[in-house]
Amino acid sequence: MRGRGFCMALLLSAWCTSAVAYQDSDLDLIPATRPAAAGTVAQPGWGVSPGHKIYLENAATGVWDSHDLAAPLPPPRDYLWQERLLLDVRTTDLIGKRAEIHLSTRLNFRDEDDLRFPSHENVVNDLREAYVSWHPSDQTYVDVGRINVKSGIALGYNPTDFFKTRSVTEPLSLDPSALREDRLGTLMARVQHIWGAGSLTIAFAPGIRARSRIYTNTNLPSLNPMFDRTNADDRFLVKGSINLGDNASPEFLLYREAGQLHLGTNLSVGLGQSTVAYLEWSGARRPNLITEAFNYGRETGTLPVNSENPLSGGSRRTFRSELAIGASYTTKADLTVNFEYLLNQAGFSRRDWDAWFAAGTHAEPQAPLIDELWYFRAYARDQQQQNTGQAYFARADWVNAFSAQLELTGFALVDAYDQSGIAQVSANYYLSDSWTIGGLGVRYFGSRRSDFGSLGTSFSLLFSVVHYF
Amino acid sequence: MRQSLVIGLLTTSFLGTLAGADPAKGSTAQEIVAQSDLVRNPVQSFETVTTLTEYVSGRQRSQEELAVYSKLDLATRQYRNLVQYLAPPRDAGKRVLLGGGALWFYDPASKASVRISPQQRLVGQAAIGDVLTVNFAVDYSAKLLGDETVEDAERRQRHCWHLELKAADDQATYARAEYWIEEGSHYPIKARFYSDSGRALKIAYYRHFVQRLGRLRPSEVVIIDAVDTSLATIASLHDSKFRDVPDIWFQRDYLPRLDAR
Repeated sequence: MRGRGFCMALLLSAWCTSAVAYQDSDLDLIPATRPAAAGTVAQPGWGVSPGHKIYLENAATGVWDSHDLAAPLPPPRDYLWQERLLLDVRTTDLIGKRAEIHLSTRLNFRDEDDLRFPSHENVVNDLREAYVSWHPSDQTYVDVGRINVKSGIALGYNPTDFFKTRSVTEPLSLDPSALREDRLGTLMARVQHIWGAGSLTIAFAPGIRARSRIYTNTNLPSLNPMFDRTNADDRFLVKGSINLGDNASPEFLLYREAGQLHLGTNLSVGLGQSTVAYLEWSGARRPNLITEAFNYGRETGTLPVNSENPLSGGSRRTFRSELAIGASYTTKADLTVNFEYLLNQAGFSRRDWDAWFAAGTHAEPQAPLIDELWYFRAYARDQQQQNTGQAYFARADWVNAFSAQLELTGFALVDAYDQSGIAQVSANYYLSDSWTIGGLGVRYFGSRRSDFGSLGTSFSLLFSVVHYF
Repeated sequence: MRQSLVIGLLTTSFLGTLAGADPAKGSTAQEIVAQSDLVRNPVQSFETVTTLTEYVSGRQRSQEELAVYSKLDLATRQYRNLVQYLAPPRDAGKRVLLGGGALWFYDPASKASVRISPQQRLVGQAAIGDVLTVNFAVDYSAKLLGDETVEDAERRQRHCWHLELKAADDQATYARAEYWIEEGSHYPIKARFYSDSGRALKIAYYRHFVQRLGRLRPSEVVIIDAVDTSLATIASLHDSKFRDVPDIWFQRDYLPRLDAR
């Protein structure tokens, strides 16, 4: 190897020092066509600038149920087909020199086999954000209104994303990255100060509505902003990040809601040109997920006040951690893959799963017990908490897949206890700067007595067309 | 004054690197690269718009437009960069930050900042590391291989220093490069980038020298995929202007605040 390098160097040296002009064949590879004149690229329509993004999307979804369930599903069943037309608007407009107004909303027109048509359920507006931002100096920002405050560095699960609870509204994709997009903000006041060495954010969200029952796709209000989902308790967040120099800027969080104090951190480090490693953690003294769900169900009247928790244990308040630790790697073929280990110490343990299936296997569909058992899982989904205690997550994103117009994305979430899981593959093809067509397939896998194998869905397909204005 | 200080920093720190010194000119290889860096980019903070046009077999396939804000960090002698997508509409508003050695990607749709690696692509053959403003003299150790007359992108003959660049640390986008810099003017003419296994990855030509940011600078970079030579991307730099870029712009938490500008 060294010898070959030496010879190469000799050849190169002889070639270079001769200072002879040569015909450079690389020049033949330069495209003959000139690019579009500067500043004339993809002239955006009236809806688009860095602060404006408006698009119209049509999505048709088909769902295939799984049969032979270990625990019967309580009625009513979920939809088997859905047709949605949605207008998505995100705008930021300046008000003078030191203030802006932010609006993010999605107007849905939808029909499903489990909805009456026409009915008010066919029109649902998600007011995701509406707030005013004022910056008295270049370093200080004050925001008031409905704001989507998001935290977290991981992809599969975000333990420090404290405002995620109850906020997700009818997502088209189950990709955790997409769930962050389709969610309601929280009514709050937020102050942020940014300086060269870091930043500090303080946010307060008042509780202005009573806690409400979990919504389903058949009882969504049309125009109600649903502050009961986001502002049922006083919520307080302090978040700070600090620059520790080369490659390191850890973030620390303190969050309080309903008397419960959470601590959290986000850490990341780059490892060369292709790899990033990261860790996201939060912890709090709390009971387990089952107890929280049971208490919430009784408080909101979903479960009878005098009912007994069919899955006992775990009610003791103790310090429980949530963790996402992983790494991303980008290949030379433009494929970026992420692998993560996910932990929720409040989630279902192996023993909880055994108890859940033991209780549900012989119950009748109309039995109150079935409602309770499935409520625990619906609660986890509504709270955006990982249902199971331990899981693995992998995600791959391939831009320029076979063609510059095609982007392929896929993820798999696997329960570490029973190896059941969910896998989703999506493809987006950019027909032009304004038009995109896409397809998405979701497959649930696992035995009938497993986390994902026990769900009522086998697989689903979605086709979409998007037009950006 | 400040410019002189920075030039001094850029050059004097490499005086120890005498390998490849050119006795005739009195310049070390590292100084030549540092002087050429000053041709590509100024030391004052600035804003420029970069249009990336991708070609397949000579036919235009896709195009993106980015606003790039750059500021030299006097401590590291490297640039900090903030990039905002301007077009196409589906990507408008997305942002990339390089500050403190870390790269962050921000999507206003998810309002989340995700840490990414320089290898991740923007469009076509341009990795993020290609679009960002960088000082080669900081990221690479240079060695003078000799003099050579090469054709530039417009097939004019240029008498050049032929240099070899090796990554000084893992911040460099490529493991190794060959670099041709015109003698006298220090104009960058051509570069050929290699992987750590020695495989040629990309070929770059600097062309269309125009008055930009206070002096004659290249306004286009042609990036050719050396593996699949039917693929090429032209990065066109325009609407460049000096501007103050506050240090807080390079904080991760500032990414959502760029709307205010």
